Amino acid sequence: MRDDRRWIDRFVETASRQLAQRTSRRNFLTRLGSALVGSTLPLLPVARAADDSRLPPPDDAALKGNAGDPKSCDYWRHCAIDGFLCACCGGSQNACPPGTEMSPVTWIGTCRHPGDGKDYIISYNDCCGQSLCLRCRCTRTEGEKPIYFTSKNNDLLWCFGTKSRAVNCSVAVVLGVATKS
Amino acid sequence: MRRVVAVLVVAGAMSGAAADVGGPALDYALNCQGCHRADGAGTPGSVPALAGSVGKFLRVPGGREYLVRVPGVAQAPLDDAATAAVLNWILARFGAGDTPADFSPYTAAEVGGLRRNPLTDVERVRRELLDAIAQSK
Repeated sequence: MRDDRRWIDRFVETASRQLAQRTSRRNFLTRLGSALVGSTLPLLPVARAADDSRLPPPDDAALKGNAGDPKSCDYWRHCAIDGFLCACCGGSQNACPPGTEMSPVTWIGTCRHPGDGKDYIISYNDCCGQSLCLRCRCTRTEGEKPIYFTSKNNDLLWCFGTKSRAVNCSVAVVLGVATKS
Repeated sequence: MRRVVAVLVVAGAMSGAAADVGGPALDYALNCQGCHRADGAGTPGSVPALAGSVGKFLRVPGGREYLVRVPGVAQAPLDDAATAAVLNWILARFGAGDTPADFSPYTAAEVGGLRRNPLTDVERVRRELLDAIAQSK
């Protein structure tokens, strides 16, 4: 029994020393964290705007400055957003953070993409089920109407048809290209 | 080669999916879809469904007027012609199986007259119309 312990001790010690020589602790923690998050995320109840987001969104990579940054109020899709950006809250511009549910009732406007100059139909869905995220607060009002046009006012909380009315953050999903007929 | 084919297929799918939306479909997307949803299903408990429902109102007295006088239509930030067009589009898309055969499309003049006489007790009128629809079956 004592010999077994010595063998295990020697094995663990050797393995630990080799690991420490090959990698930094920060590197190890980064990789471990990535592995855990990467393997866990698909299992979490992440609400996605898949139902309405069949359109491939325009390319943001070529945009300069904050117009291409989903974590910025100046991101092109955020021309009429009022709330906390889900991209800063554990989600993205398309997906709610884990543990929240995307409201099926939403308010919809258009934003012009600075790259191709087209007007895109944007759905601002609230993600519901947790308290306010309180990160990346944005208020932009292109196309917004006064509160008596309730369906076109973004000051309202839009957690309808969800289990919880508590709003956490907002996404900005591209639904299509608006054209004048 | 297989990779090239795959890229072409993806590119084709993407270009095909990039649907442009204009006319009454765009007005629906910007003014109605947020609550009634893209498929007209509504949200139970919050927003009435259009699909499988809206056309039935045309079968009973007062139903045609009701569809214009409801707050979402009467107060929509659209002019009379655009409102008539989006109503006709909604009926064609979500009420095709329910709309009477002799239905004549809404006109701008009709919508203009009706929306100036909005409903003051929407829920009561809706309840009465739904009862009439149920009895007409």
